[in-house]
Amino acid sequence: MVSRQAGKKALFLLMPFILVFFLFQVLPLIWVFVDSFKSNLGEEWGIGNYEYIFESRYFRQALFNSLKISLYSSIVGMLLALPCAWSLHRLSGRLKELTLTFANMIANFSGVPLAFAFVILLGANGCLIVLLDQLGIQLGFNLYSALGLILIYSYFQIPLAILLMLPAMEGLRDEWQEAACLLGAGKIRYWISIGLPVLMPGILGTFIILFANAMGTMATAFALTGGNYNLLTIRISNLISGDIFLDPWLASALSMVLVFILMLVTLANEWLIKPGRLRAKAK
Amino acid sequence: MQRPNSLGHLSVIIIFMMVMILPLLGTLLYSISTSWSSGLLPDGITLKWYTSLFADHRFLQAMMNSVLVCLGALLLTLVLVVPTAFIVFYYFPFLKPFMNFIILLPFAVPPVVSSVGLLQIYSNDVVTLTGTPWILLGAYFTVALPFSYRAIANNMANLNLQDMLDAAHLLGASTFRAFFTIVLPNLKTGLMVSLFLSFSLLIGEFVFANILVGTRFETVQVYLFNMKTRSGHFSSAVVVSYFLIIVLMTILAGQWGKKQ
Amino acid sequence: MSFLRVDGLEKKYDDSFVFSHIHFSLEKGEFVTLLGPSGCGKSTLLRCIAGLTQVDDGQLFIDGVNVTDTPARQRGIAMVFQSYALFPNMTVRENIAFGLKMQKVPPSEQSKRVNEAVELVELGGKEQRYPSELSGGQCQRVALARSLVVRPRILLLDEPLSALDARIRKNLREQLRSIQKELGLTTLFVTHDQEEALTLSDRILLMNNGKIIQNGTAEEIYTEPADAFVVRFIGNYNLLSAEQAHQVLGIQSQKQVAIRPESIYVREEGRQYPEHVRHPVRGEVVDYLLLGNVIRYRIKVSNVELLVDLLNRSSERLFPAGANLELLFNTHEIREVDEENSAIG
Repeated sequence: MVSRQAGKKALFLLMPFILVFFLFQVLPLIWVFVDSFKSNLGEEWGIGNYEYIFESRYFRQALFNSLKISLYSSIVGMLLALPCAWSLHRLSGRLKELTLTFANMIANFSGVPLAFAFVILLGANGCLIVLLDQLGIQLGFNLYSALGLILIYSYFQIPLAILLMLPAMEGLRDEWQEAACLLGAGKIRYWISIGLPVLMPGILGTFIILFANAMGTMATAFALTGGNYNLLTIRISNLISGDIFLDPWLASALSMVLVFILMLVTLANEWLIKPGRLRAKAK
Repeated sequence: MQRPNSLGHLSVIIIFMMVMILPLLGTLLYSISTSWSSGLLPDGITLKWYTSLFADHRFLQAMMNSVLVCLGALLLTLVLVVPTAFIVFYYFPFLKPFMNFIILLPFAVPPVVSSVGLLQIYSNDVVTLTGTPWILLGAYFTVALPFSYRAIANNMANLNLQDMLDAAHLLGASTFRAFFTIVLPNLKTGLMVSLFLSFSLLIGEFVFANILVGTRFETVQVYLFNMKTRSGHFSSAVVVSYFLIIVLMTILAGQWGKKQ
Repeated sequence: MSFLRVDGLEKKYDDSFVFSHIHFSLEKGEFVTLLGPSGCGKSTLLRCIAGLTQVDDGQLFIDGVNVTDTPARQRGIAMVFQSYALFPNMTVRENIAFGLKMQKVPPSEQSKRVNEAVELVELGGKEQRYPSELSGGQCQRVALARSLVVRPRILLLDEPLSALDARIRKNLREQLRSIQKELGLTTLFVTHDQEEALTLSDRILLMNNGKIIQNGTAEEIYTEPADAFVVRFIGNYNLLSAEQAHQVLGIQSQKQVAIRPESIYVREEGRQYPEHVRHPVRGEVVDYLLLGNVIRYRIKVSNVELLVDLLNRSSERLFPAGANLELLFNTHEIREVDEENSAIG
């Protein structure tokens, strides 16, 4: 138990954290929020920036592209990660350890280096493309297109999804299947009635994290296309540090659109993983 | 329970590893090849890209900058987060849900958005932090915060903080003394793991570094981006060098994690 | 003069009392147990005495000095926690030496005293182990050594044995008591286990709903329970309502009546009973339980079930279920008790 005086002193010691967090996380967000209502290159107050964004085909396309690539890469990532995570869960010993370490490394292998690695592998003169070409196979694959981006995004989504799904799968206990079997349920029945319902919060939560991750990322696409592919994050970046046209107020409004989507998704995630957390505690 | 590894699961994992390692393998081969215009294998093997890379003053400077700014940011994170987590857990446990909420903010506000605000706030006549590494310390703090707070909080939750502090008080230690002799040593393992993982996270950060600082304090990510016009073999050598750092950090984290 | 005096201590959380009007004292070298059900406020009271929790009212004297506002670390009180609260980053030796280090005892003296403490709790050879490498019982010994080594004026024990399994618990509590006697330590022991309290203590403070209900020796608590709560808590008792007492014993009482199972006899032919063994009544055996040297019968007397303990003299026959017996009661052992006082404040 703590005396009131010690409590006050402790509160004072929280100040540095609060200050830095405010200055570098909260204040910028507030600033962006306020700036987003200064339209016409910051000249007048109002929702002009937002009107402009939603009227402009160009910005609508950026939003649409971002949503599309995030959604597809999350689905692909999830679908490929699920069997991998399940197999990993079923393995044991050194191989499992090794695979986990590998997944951890790959999960951190994103952004500019990843874009370069893909250019070398699948770019116009990429080694895999050239190799296939010599075998007489013409993929007609363009790394710098939406499809290329979805492929690269999926690459960094898979290890992330595996790392996020594994704890949920470890929560599925063998005894449950054994108990279900003794009660007369077959394998399929077990998955429908017990396995999937238990995994569902984990699957949805992971999916949402993947989606948010893809929506907010920029480095990979930026490095790959030099800022030419039309994505929300790239539009924002070009409006504040591009070479041609700077409009931080418009960038702020675009940012708020992105933040709105991410907040929605993050809150949904918190809400989804709550029951899972309770279950973990009850064990 | 120790099961024999089934063939099906084994093959899924092996296929996964083989596919995922392709970009890395390609880059590695490319970085040690003289040229690779056609065929399954490069035309010749050479280390010349590495020798020219490690002779490049700009690259070494960028490496140095990256390491410095990451270590600085991690130090700042540690100094801010560890006492905060302790104070929250020991004095104000009712704040725990609030903390869990605010550390989500960095997920909802991606670096590119924060950059918009940071550029406006910290590049004027009063405070000019943009273009200097100092602003990256603050920005990277927000990147590392969710991971380091969660790691530290999980470790704290496993300690019986109240009883241990009570026992220390009765044995004559002040709270301050108890924090350094008991709480901190017990967090060491968790802290080291989270430090290594956060380091690999931060050294891969590009958006903040590019927008807020750019070439005035070039990190290895920005350097790689700016080298895009140089030969692919050269860039590959940069990518491989960078990935080796991640490998090292992940292995170190794993080694510390085993001590727990 | 008493060594520890607790004078009107009171503690509340958000307007409701945890305990109030707590008065008691400990003599030097005395082993006193604070006994009560969980949630009765005994642990909080212990923490207040230690100085870990602030009291709202009342005073606390140690050796005649008012320590109510003295910080925990200056009271000279040591405490053993239910969770042991060992420092996981330190070896057994470092844990035990921690208090001495804080008191800036010179290193040579430190190691001498740590060695003594290690020997006292029989942990020789385990000094370099970490708490995670020890069993629960060993951890508790380390916690005890850590508390003893600083030579506290008062030792507080907060349910120190409750996390251990039965055999180790019994073993350890005997050891605890013998160390306490050897060192002449003034000790206050908190537990919810009445058997532990009855076997260990010089004196017992029985607590319920934030109040001390009874203060006495184990013998007094057992034979002269202060109210119906004590009767129920100590267990084993037959507690009859006034109505049931009339039915069974034919006595008129305004209060509940408590009868210990060993003060009820089965009449044996040809045996003379003293004057105070009276109230013959017939009953039917429901079943029985063999408790070693005692056989506990459940006997139904006109819709009231009584527990009756008889010595297990194996040469004699057991009364089977359904047997009809005549019972006699030792009237000296029939107690009228008040209903427990549930009000607090």
